[in-house]
Amino acid sequence: MEAEKFVVHARIDVRTLETWVAAGWLVPGSVEGRAHYSEVDLARAHLINDLAGLGVNEAGVPIVLDLVDQLHGLRRVLRHALAVARSGQAGESG
Amino acid sequence: MAADPYEVLGVKKDASQSDIQKAYRALAKKLHPDLNPGNKQAEERFKEVAGAYDLLGDEKKRARFDSGEIDASGAERPQQRQYYRDFADAGSQYSNDAGFADFADDDILSQIFRGRGRGGPVNMRGQDRHYRLELEFLDAINGATQHITLPDGASLDVRIPAGTRDGQTLRLRGKGAPGIGEGPPGDALVEVTVRPHRTFSRDGDNIRVELPISLSEAVLGGKVTVPTPTGPVTMTVPKWSNTGAVLRLKGRGVTRADGDKGDELVALKIVLPEKPDPELESLIAKWGGAYNPRETMEA
Repeated sequence: MEAEKFVVHARIDVRTLETWVAAGWLVPGSVEGRAHYSEVDLARAHLINDLAGLGVNEAGVPIVLDLVDQLHGLRRVLRHALAVARSGQAGESG
Repeated sequence: MAADPYEVLGVKKDASQSDIQKAYRALAKKLHPDLNPGNKQAEERFKEVAGAYDLLGDEKKRARFDSGEIDASGAERPQQRQYYRDFADAGSQYSNDAGFADFADDDILSQIFRGRGRGGPVNMRGQDRHYRLELEFLDAINGATQHITLPDGASLDVRIPAGTRDGQTLRLRGKGAPGIGEGPPGDALVEVTVRPHRTFSRDGDNIRVELPISLSEAVLGGKVTVPTPTGPVTMTVPKWSNTGAVLRLKGRGVTRADGDKGDELVALKIVLPEKPDPELESLIAKWGGAYNPRETMEA
């Protein structure tokens, strides 16, 4: 979706969006030279909004986002590893 | 969202705004789905807490709630949203490998990263996605097709089977997140809320309706038209029918999964003409029939 639609869904104003993009908290894609936002960006914007509501300040937000992203990376690898281990077991028994 | 928001947040009715904010933050930190990606139960509780805070965190809304002007369901329905964690497995521009970069040389892990474990490439089923849908009463009873608009603007057709209940979850196979490798996609799970109807209410597989009848229909009997979810039908009111008498319209209720149908239960209610009628008054005065309908009542 485009920025105009995105700010409505994310419940933020255009200036806030510009600040977040400038800070690298959101990394929109690009369609025909215009910024394009996906569902991931929207979910991430909701998370940033919630963090502010929890009292996390401007300095804290990127730290939390980075740790959450790392946590997701680790969970993905763990899931992957479990799936491999499981399919390996299935191969042996069959 | 019917729970008392004060209880949800665990604060007293006279708590200060800052106490309420503190209570919300303490709970939200523990329950926010994105800060607890492994905790599946957290999401429902978080929605409750966010809903309660939406009501009490705003001094004006809280005052309206306290004065009874709006009830707990006056809290803004939590926005239908997907959490950031829902995208964690798909990978995105935000994916970050720093958490395991130092394991990359490990034999076993490097095999996994190449997708060549002992069992070959990894196939995993996609995640389920959750949606919420509000239905009109008659659509839920008779069945319908509804469109859900997804956050990205795409839409999904949902077939509502006849007899769908409030709170029921419909599963749309394969309409969730795409699978990994050759894994099948997940399902879309649609939780249904049914709006109440002015005339009908539901009682299991039966429909209940209150039917006003005139004094002469009550005394002499007669044919009356009764609304049912599938349209009006004619019913005979037996003579000498009292307020509270319940007549059964067989098969006019809710369609069950096995194709059978419940009944419509029609409760009669005698209604006098709106304006006083001198003719009726003189008739009754002449009637003089004395009876005590309160005989069996205790003093």
